[in-house]
Amino acid sequence: MIAFVAKLRLPASDCLLWGILGLFILIPLASFLAYGFFYTVDNSVVYRPTLANFLEILTNDSYRTTFFKTLRMALEVSVINLFLGYATAYFIWLRPPTMRNFLVIALAVPLLMSYIIKIYAMRGVLGTNGLLNSVLLALGIVDDPVSTFLFNLTAVRITLSVVLLPFMVLPIYISLERIPNSVLQAAEDLGAHQIQTFTRVILPLSLPGGMVGAMFTFVLASGDFLAPELVGGIEGFTYGRLIFSQFGLAFNWPLGAALSILLMIVALAVIYMARRLGNPKWQR
Amino acid sequence: MIRYCGYFLNAAVLLFAAGYAAAQEVRLFSFEGYAESEWVEPFEAETGCSVSVAYTGSVDEMFAKMAGSDGADYDLISIDTSIIQRYLDNELIIPFDMSMIPNTANLLPSFSSVAEVMSGGATYGVPIAWGSLGLIYDTEAFPEGIDSWEALWDPANKGHILALDDANNNITNAAIVLGIDNPFNLTDADFNAVQQKLIEQKQYLISYYAGFEEGVNIWDTSEASLMFSMGEFQAVELANRGYDVVYSIPKEGGIGWLDTWALSKGVQDSDCAHKWVNYYLNGITGPTMTAINGYGNTTNESPDLDYADKLVWLQPAEDFDRRVEVWNAVKAAQ
Repeated sequence: MIAFVAKLRLPASDCLLWGILGLFILIPLASFLAYGFFYTVDNSVVYRPTLANFLEILTNDSYRTTFFKTLRMALEVSVINLFLGYATAYFIWLRPPTMRNFLVIALAVPLLMSYIIKIYAMRGVLGTNGLLNSVLLALGIVDDPVSTFLFNLTAVRITLSVVLLPFMVLPIYISLERIPNSVLQAAEDLGAHQIQTFTRVILPLSLPGGMVGAMFTFVLASGDFLAPELVGGIEGFTYGRLIFSQFGLAFNWPLGAALSILLMIVALAVIYMARRLGNPKWQR
Repeated sequence: MIRYCGYFLNAAVLLFAAGYAAAQEVRLFSFEGYAESEWVEPFEAETGCSVSVAYTGSVDEMFAKMAGSDGADYDLISIDTSIIQRYLDNELIIPFDMSMIPNTANLLPSFSSVAEVMSGGATYGVPIAWGSLGLIYDTEAFPEGIDSWEALWDPANKGHILALDDANNNITNAAIVLGIDNPFNLTDADFNAVQQKLIEQKQYLISYYAGFEEGVNIWDTSEASLMFSMGEFQAVELANRGYDVVYSIPKEGGIGWLDTWALSKGVQDSDCAHKWVNYYLNGITGPTMTAINGYGNTTNESPDLDYADKLVWLQPAEDFDRRVEVWNAVKAAQ
């Protein structure tokens, strides 16, 4: 074995790259695709190809409703984040350069934190004795703590919006940064007032970044299974939970893989769309 | 300098092998409460074996993880007697060498010859703890007490109820509440009734939870005052956090379980694993565990647990996959 591999004379750097790519991405992905076409009998996988998993998914009502419920939720999160993210990115872009860099770094810091800790933090914020309720009580807006912020689909939407916001802000900010000053000056020279400059120049030039951000948000939100579990309560059974339950609870890897393949197809379609919208012909 | 792919791969293989150098260690995969520092530290000092623990959120999760790695990740698992057969059928556990566990002599008579832990004359499970899946309620919210599981279906309690996220236990408990004769051998009609009953409950729940700690945490961040519990330990934890709660088995009965240590097929340090099981039955660990976590132990009497006669002891279910499917349908129901 060792003698055999020693004969492979690829430069070490190429070897490392292909090794990493193959070992951590290509092989797992291929095995995943293959598993979707197997099935289980008595808790063990039978390695014979079948389309049974896909038929089951298409004919099972609870899988279908969960699928569309999740896509809708992910779309809502993307739309919310497009507005929030654009406003945030625009605000940062208008600051002086040193302030700008500071804000961008501050925005990126949460990306270094553990995902699960962020969700638990959100639980602390949204709970009946959490930050949000304390503020509402202190301001006299409500008389009793409101329990509707946590353990429902709204809580999942809020949590995912907060946690995924950096993925929206950063691409928009980058597109704003790439707008040449000369373009803005030209708009001014030609007599455009501020609102016209924004709607006719800045927005069209930066919206492709928003499309990329929306793609990130949508893909991450539709596959997420932790936030729905931890803050979603009984409404938190999303497609990600369904996949998780096949791997983590039911030990039905083939069905889980088939469910994942469907989600992957949707994700790839969204990425393809974002590529077209995020890099329009007229801008190239 | 590494110049060629082959050398690079060889180095990787060597590094991988070096990582497998064995240390004296027992790797536990268990429910919370079976590896507290009160007995882990003296065990480590006495035997020189170190203890590492991974906790599971549910019976289902434990099986899926064991099946997924063929048992390679753990030495000992804490499984209840009803599920031993499922692990045997899938060849995930191996028998103990009983000569290395002389402390089984300390087992109380009712735990010294449990039929479910035996197979073909070999012992696959050593009983360590028993308990129930009872109802926990807050005495402030319910000063008159609760004597029926139907409180978990009472519209008046909407928004105050927690239930655990576990297919088998939820279905069994719902069958007990419905008064089904054998909650472990459900007919098609029974399955439908149970599914309807569980779907009906959803509108009143705050959330499902997986794991002791998680259930207690949700109780802490919500307006919970009632809970389908994973066991006595949760009532102890809630009391530690200042809640005035009662742990009870309602009149319909409740699930009783007897947990055992079982030896994983992928055991690495069999010696340390046997020492750990033996240590558990030394007559000190058991009562300590009972005092800290509220579970009954198997070596000494547990006078506080006075509801054993109300319990329906867990048995193997008729069709595990079907139960998981029904449970998923319940969770997906709108």
